[in-house]
Amino acid sequence: MPIYNPTIQTLDMSELKRYSGLTKCTEFPQRLLDQACTEAQIISQPKASWQIYDYDASTSTIMSPEPLSLPPTVISKHLANSLKVAVIAVTIGPDLEKLVSEYFSKNEYTLGLLLDAAGTTAVELAADQACELIKQDENKQGYTTLFRFSPGYGQWDIRVQPQILTLAHGDEINITATSACMLLPRKSITAVIGLTPTVSNLPHKETIEGSKCDQCQQINCLSRKD
Amino acid sequence: MIYIFDGAMGTMLQNAGLPPGYCPELWNQEQPAVITAIHKSYIDSGSDIIETNTFGANRIKLTHYGLEEKVALLNTAAVQAARAACGPDTKIAGSVGPTGKLIVPLGDLSFDDAYNVFFEQISALDQAGVDMILIETIIDIQEMRAALLAAKAASKKPVICQMSFGADERTVTGTDPITATIILEAMGADIIGVNCSLGPAQLLPIVEKIAQTTNCPISVQANAGMPSLINKQTVFPMQPEEMGLWAKKLVAAGARYVGGCCGTTPQHIKSIYQAVKHLALSDLPTVQSAKKSTALTSRSKTIYLGAGHPTVIIGERINPTGRKQLAADIAAGQFISVKKEALSQVRAGAHLLDVNMGVPGIDQAKAMQYAIQELSMLVDVPLVIDTTDVNALEAGLKAYPGRALINSVSAEPERLKSFLPLAKKYGAAILCLPISPAGVPKTAQDRLVVIQEIIHKAFETGLKPGDFVLDALILTAAADARAGLEALATLKLYRQHLGYPTTMGLSNISFGLPRRDIINATFCAMALDAGLDAPILNPYDPLMQQTLAASALLLGDDPSGRSYSVNYAPTSQSEERAAPLTPKNIIEQIHLAIVSGEKEAVVPLVEQALREGHKSIDISEQALTTAMNKVGIAFGNGQCFLPQVLLAAESMRAAFLTIKKELPAHATTSLGTIILATVKGDIHDLGKNIVAALLENNGFTVIDLGKDISPEKIVEKALEHKADIVGLCALMTTTMPQIDHTIAALKAAGCSAQTIVGGAVLTQEYANQANADSYAANGVDAVTIAKGFMADKAH
Repeated sequence: MPIYNPTIQTLDMSELKRYSGLTKCTEFPQRLLDQACTEAQIISQPKASWQIYDYDASTSTIMSPEPLSLPPTVISKHLANSLKVAVIAVTIGPDLEKLVSEYFSKNEYTLGLLLDAAGTTAVELAADQACELIKQDENKQGYTTLFRFSPGYGQWDIRVQPQILTLAHGDEINITATSACMLLPRKSITAVIGLTPTVSNLPHKETIEGSKCDQCQQINCLSRKD
Repeated sequence: MIYIFDGAMGTMLQNAGLPPGYCPELWNQEQPAVITAIHKSYIDSGSDIIETNTFGANRIKLTHYGLEEKVALLNTAAVQAARAACGPDTKIAGSVGPTGKLIVPLGDLSFDDAYNVFFEQISALDQAGVDMILIETIIDIQEMRAALLAAKAASKKPVICQMSFGADERTVTGTDPITATIILEAMGADIIGVNCSLGPAQLLPIVEKIAQTTNCPISVQANAGMPSLINKQTVFPMQPEEMGLWAKKLVAAGARYVGGCCGTTPQHIKSIYQAVKHLALSDLPTVQSAKKSTALTSRSKTIYLGAGHPTVIIGERINPTGRKQLAADIAAGQFISVKKEALSQVRAGAHLLDVNMGVPGIDQAKAMQYAIQELSMLVDVPLVIDTTDVNALEAGLKAYPGRALINSVSAEPERLKSFLPLAKKYGAAILCLPISPAGVPKTAQDRLVVIQEIIHKAFETGLKPGDFVLDALILTAAADARAGLEALATLKLYRQHLGYPTTMGLSNISFGLPRRDIINATFCAMALDAGLDAPILNPYDPLMQQTLAASALLLGDDPSGRSYSVNYAPTSQSEERAAPLTPKNIIEQIHLAIVSGEKEAVVPLVEQALREGHKSIDISEQALTTAMNKVGIAFGNGQCFLPQVLLAAESMRAAFLTIKKELPAHATTSLGTIILATVKGDIHDLGKNIVAALLENNGFTVIDLGKDISPEKIVEKALEHKADIVGLCALMTTTMPQIDHTIAALKAAGCSAQTIVGGAVLTQEYANQANADSYAANGVDAVTIAKGFMADKAH
């Protein structure tokens, strides 16, 4: 089971703005955005763990020691051509969310909101870096990686979260799931990455690549990509 | 001469019957004849150098097969099997692959453990008689550094270092070929190269970059193209003939050792041999290697210092000397302020960061190691390790995944004896300081003599011309009238006689004088003209930044003044901002400050309004409330965004607090009491906190119960506080039913409070079926609904 601590050397300001609902805002104090970025970079403790499993597309089953059957929803279609999957867990640790709460308790709401958005940007960046590591490793063996698909996307019931966390060895990086299947620390992600043979003309590729927002039911989300 | 390596081993073993999942290296012991036959097939195809079947024969990899105690045995058997295939001219390269783990701080393997694992394997290969060590397929420069150090310690034989890069020409851990080459050449790699991951087409530009950076011989072993997976088998598409054509291009780009990696066969090697073995070197294009300036690197970035390169700013702020808070943080093992200084300096324009952990009484080696590890994860600029403690220096150099600068090496014998070998071992550059056992030389000529002595000793230790940065040494102008002149003269002498890049700590010159910023900036401009390449300074100083920008323009480093103009030309945006808005009176000014979210500006305005005799109720109603209403409407129309609403709310709060402070008797009437909670099982509270902030600053009394709150607790508090409204929030589908339970419990308990529900997964439809009185899509809606409800109630 690989363990990787991604680096957070730069946060994408446009992503931070998107997560804080500022995408269409033309004038906002840069000082506050910079401060949120700096603090997120300093207190994030990014960690990722994952495990590769065989995948039986005919039964939509991850062939882990205790096999996990996936529901016949978008996730199964997404993995239809996969021979293996990487099950991944990523977190930036608990410190950032504590600081967000501190800011709210000190009535610095704006900074609290921006820091929360910077934390989301950071954990997404950390996940992207871990996925890149998996991608390069698997490319060498003739596999292409699909975009990471998380519980909650495309009607995939988030009650699968504890099982996914177990498959990704999330406990090794101190991620747990609550009884309501929420991840702790809150700025954490689990996902499944399909590994398909590197051949051309994958029929499903065009339909499932693109914005992850397309797979999300929160149509009024402030961060949704158009 | 062009040397031909062999090709893939793994696929050859599989073709020879190695079962899937079986340890390939175990066949060195169990099936040595098969291994020898594979080697022989490559030698027959033209290989000058064959690689032992030991790619995974390190303790960590062998542990997967329970063979960790067979490191020496399997490596020795591999060399024997290879030797059995060799003719008199064939050389054996001992193959050393990665451990499969990432080194701290990217992973959980310690540098020392990695070093020991490599040392064990390389010692076995060396003792078994390999002709050279080949460290290959490494994706993390820190792992390569550990392996190279181990190879240098375990063997006197040549070491080849081959990294693996992705299609973006970086290793997956961020290192580009130029940076890798600089680090590895400085650490003593004999041959530098690249293998695996990509085909020859993708490796060609990487080889070109390596060739432009070093005069070391270059090796390349490409895969047979980019693989596909056919019938669950990895298939490499490139045919032998095409591989030979690419080999010619690789040699033309500067490679002198050429072989194959994944998917290549004896046929591919034969094709390569036929294409390049007999090329006359004199017919090949001459590769232009880089200028001999001094290069420093982080894991992912190279900075050049010296003539012909832009001025390099060395940020001096990570230094606890005279800074009590920073010193206390370092002593307490808290590196938050160190990290903040690092990020802030880089944002302010620093190209290198000086790192000094000189706090008396602490374990400086431990502090330096931790600081270097943390900073290497946080910033991509190269680091300068600033210490007088030799243990701290080695700890920092070992931990740093780049080529650092050592600050500093004086001509004092003890310093030369202890620091120079560490610079050589870890491939660091040295900042030479002209101080001798006799003290600080007064004149420029004397400083030159001392510097020459340091450089002489450095050459004796094995350092090279690209390893130096010379300090001109600045004394204090207030104490020595010639301090500035001698430093400038020293810079000129260095340039005239030595030509290495120069540095100096600028702020020393102004010690004890007023307006040090003026003196520092003026002296900086003079020193840049005299040959200063890399000033050590405070990058936050705006006057210094202006001086540096102007100097770059005047010294020809900023063609057409483009960069200067970008930074200092007035922009249309700033012109717009400068256009004054003219509110008619103080009430309008307060209104405007709230709408604009200018928290700091609103306080003096409210104080002024009160002094002018405006009633608090007028300020509150005519300025504050109308401003928040305006912001709310703008939000609803999509002309204003949530962070701006929150800024306005913060400004509103500051205004209210000012009124209360100035008029303690002033009583603000609450619009109503609201209980807020995130429901049971749900741990998300950001949205609820935003709603609480907005309600509070619109005049409601908010009792925020927090997150994960049971229906019973919410009912109890609603009744206890005679709440007018209960606001409930849920973020996830799994916790949404708690909204229903809580509303039912409130009604069952006879609570008359209106219920407002919201949260990411909530909808109007869900609110209806849960018997909620209202649904609020966001915080501004919640305020509008709450106000409407209280207005209805009042009637």
